[in-house]
Amino acid sequence: MTPAPAVAVRIGARALTRRYGALVANDAIDLSVAPGTIHSIVGGNGAGKSTLMRILQGVDFPDAGTVVLNDEPVRLSGPADAFARGVGMVHQEFMLAPPLSLLENLILAREPVGAAGLIDWRKAEEEAGNLAALAGAAIDWRLKAADAPIHVRQILEILRLLYRGADVLILDEPTAVLAPAQIVELLKLMGKLRDEGRTILFISHKLDEVMKCSDAITVMRAGRVVARTTASDTNVDALARAMVGDHAPALLIESRERPSGTPLFSARALAARDPLGFERLGPVDLDIRAGEIVGVAAVGGNGQDELVACAAGILAPAAGSIRLGGEDLAGASTARFRAAGVGYVSADRAHEGLCLTASLADNFIAGRERDTAFSRLGFLRPANIRAAAARGLAGLSVRYGSVDDPASSLSGGNQQRLAIARELSRAPRLLVVSQPTRGVDIAGTAFIHNLIADFRDRGGAVLLVSESLDELLALSDRILCLFNGRISGELSRSEAGVETVGRLMLGRRAAA
Amino acid sequence: MMRALRPRVADGLGAAAPFVFALAIGAVVLFAAGFEPLSVYRLMIEEGFGGERRIAATLTASTPLLLTGLAAAIAFRSGVFNVGAEGCFYLGGLTAAVIGFSAPSWPSALVLGAGLGAAALIGGLWLLGPGLLRARLGVDEVVTTLMLNFIAVGITSWLVNGPLLARGSANSATPAIALNATLPRLLPPTTLHLGFAISLALVIAYGVWGRFTVGGFRSRLVGTNPRFARAVGIEPERVLVATMVVSGAVGGLAGAIHALGLVHRFVGGFSPGYGFTGIAIALLARNSALGVIVASILFGALSSAGASIQLFSNVPIEIVQILQGAVMVFATAKLGRLWRRAG
Repeated sequence: MTPAPAVAVRIGARALTRRYGALVANDAIDLSVAPGTIHSIVGGNGAGKSTLMRILQGVDFPDAGTVVLNDEPVRLSGPADAFARGVGMVHQEFMLAPPLSLLENLILAREPVGAAGLIDWRKAEEEAGNLAALAGAAIDWRLKAADAPIHVRQILEILRLLYRGADVLILDEPTAVLAPAQIVELLKLMGKLRDEGRTILFISHKLDEVMKCSDAITVMRAGRVVARTTASDTNVDALARAMVGDHAPALLIESRERPSGTPLFSARALAARDPLGFERLGPVDLDIRAGEIVGVAAVGGNGQDELVACAAGILAPAAGSIRLGGEDLAGASTARFRAAGVGYVSADRAHEGLCLTASLADNFIAGRERDTAFSRLGFLRPANIRAAAARGLAGLSVRYGSVDDPASSLSGGNQQRLAIARELSRAPRLLVVSQPTRGVDIAGTAFIHNLIADFRDRGGAVLLVSESLDELLALSDRILCLFNGRISGELSRSEAGVETVGRLMLGRRAAA
Repeated sequence: MMRALRPRVADGLGAAAPFVFALAIGAVVLFAAGFEPLSVYRLMIEEGFGGERRIAATLTASTPLLLTGLAAAIAFRSGVFNVGAEGCFYLGGLTAAVIGFSAPSWPSALVLGAGLGAAALIGGLWLLGPGLLRARLGVDEVVTTLMLNFIAVGITSWLVNGPLLARGSANSATPAIALNATLPRLLPPTTLHLGFAISLALVIAYGVWGRFTVGGFRSRLVGTNPRFARAVGIEPERVLVATMVVSGAVGGLAGAIHALGLVHRFVGGFSPGYGFTGIAIALLARNSALGVIVASILFGALSSAGASIQLFSNVPIEIVQILQGAVMVFATAKLGRLWRRAG
């Protein structure tokens, strides 16, 4: 299993470039990962980490340059080819079959076969036992994957790679969904696997974890490698600087005094479940006044998605009340939420924020097609629709061919501008915004931040959820931290710092 | 310019490809059976389109397909995979036939209106259940509508063998409809009837609706991206239920037109699978009105030519079923993707 010690680079890349249209996702990347090491790749959103990992795993292909395995340039034909060469990946999303047991999930696609072509369960259990011992974890193999705790599922994903004989493990943000104690366990397991001679590529943007476990660290920014270092030669601050670059400090939107008066939006004892039926949110109380941006900080899966969906009227709460301007919206349809003055910018641009196959014009007026400006007696007024879309887009400095082109013809950042402009054109009272600048470049981010701040200054109320603390700190007048579905702290802009918010997000108390 | 054009070319090729592949497969079968494929195809084209009478026969055969294709296209466009048009066709046909033979003294317009209207109503109500089940409880409409087909065929078959059996008839058939209830012929002595014009007009109206109306806009958004539609305040469930009902109404209407225009009664085995052929037509047409018209006429030609080549040569009529089946298989394979990926 362990590669010959003569090999200097177990896995890596040489002058590897990958373009998506005009965007250079990976720009002449050189990467050398020595066998038997934990090599961390850090970088902000859009740095090109995921693209690089997809290429190393054979899911995507470079436009120029090559993947290197065991010092040799190779052309991977696909993920199966990568696997045959010992490279396996654990994705951010779980790739398990929920109704199958953990044991069944483990052996899936490489079942030990005994007499008469039947599955040799004894052998399967034996191998599973060995792996569990290796991981130092007590695993109840008969548990269904759907019922297993998240950290067990995460460990199973890794054991499955080992079971199938991978000695290079690519772990894409494996700690994002774990609690602190579980993170420690996972890092320990990674260390053990490394000591046995396996090679681990660890993707994370949690720098303290990276410092704890890495032998080597590669920092990426905007598609390039900007630093190569080791944990002993650097520190969290230096890494953070390398990740962010020398750009001017984030444009800080001026904070405002908390407006007085009755709240525009008000939720009481709000609770909600995720699509699988797990309690994710609540109970929480939340007030937002007109002219105020309330930011929500949380590690993924702590209820912020459900909070957004409830506030936007997409998801019916399991309990609690929602009022907007005094109007009771409990159990109301999305259409009624919108009629009451709620605008919604979805984190999922491709499936909820826009209809990518529909034209720019259709996207711009969608939801308002009944307005007399856009239809008469049930018949659309295409000229008016096109003109309105053209006017709307003109203010966004978006380059486009024609308003009849599909929304998919826009770049990701411009798609987001379109989605936000559509919502603002409806003159809402409350704007619910989730991840407004995910995958958006710096100029686009500043533009979108200004749109949101302008809306606030004109008296709008904003509920902002973002995985980027910088964004929350730049925009929010108040920041709420969610942990395990409950509000673990509330800070005004002036009190909030990355560290304090980070602690509250993890359910710890703010430093005294 | 090129970029804007390319997808359309791909769509065109994608729509034509199933026929090309099906003809190729048919050719292999014909060759293996000892016939000369090209001459059989030439004969089929002649029998389908050679001269006024043959064209009229083709259009007559395409009439039920226009509407069952339309019923399917309406549903598919909104993202509902309704396969229940066949059942609606039976129910609508029986309903219209009953009204057609029960009111011989009414003015023709009234009895025609009542027959067509009642059939549409029955068809719409028939699929209200599956629509509500899908919208409220997420029950898969493919299963419910498919199963309801068997129930519809069963009910009509029982009625036509029992209470509605024509006196003195041994076969399962209702009495013939009265003269005032027959849809007028357009090109006597051919069988082409007013139902063709009605069907064509409905398909054209569907095209206008889809492109130029608020309802068409909403159905398109719900069909392509229901989460987006919900997020902008359109209620996918409502669109879905309405779609199901309208689709069922068109299916019922198709049966009524078939009964009042061509068969002039309801008989057991009323439809040779028109509802299912309609699914293939909608898939081939990618739900476009023009596509439904073209595909219906091609399928109509296939069946009308198939009947006559059996008379004039010893080629078995089953070749038509092979061709239809092959077209359906390739239609569902979304061949347009091949070109799009290459381009």
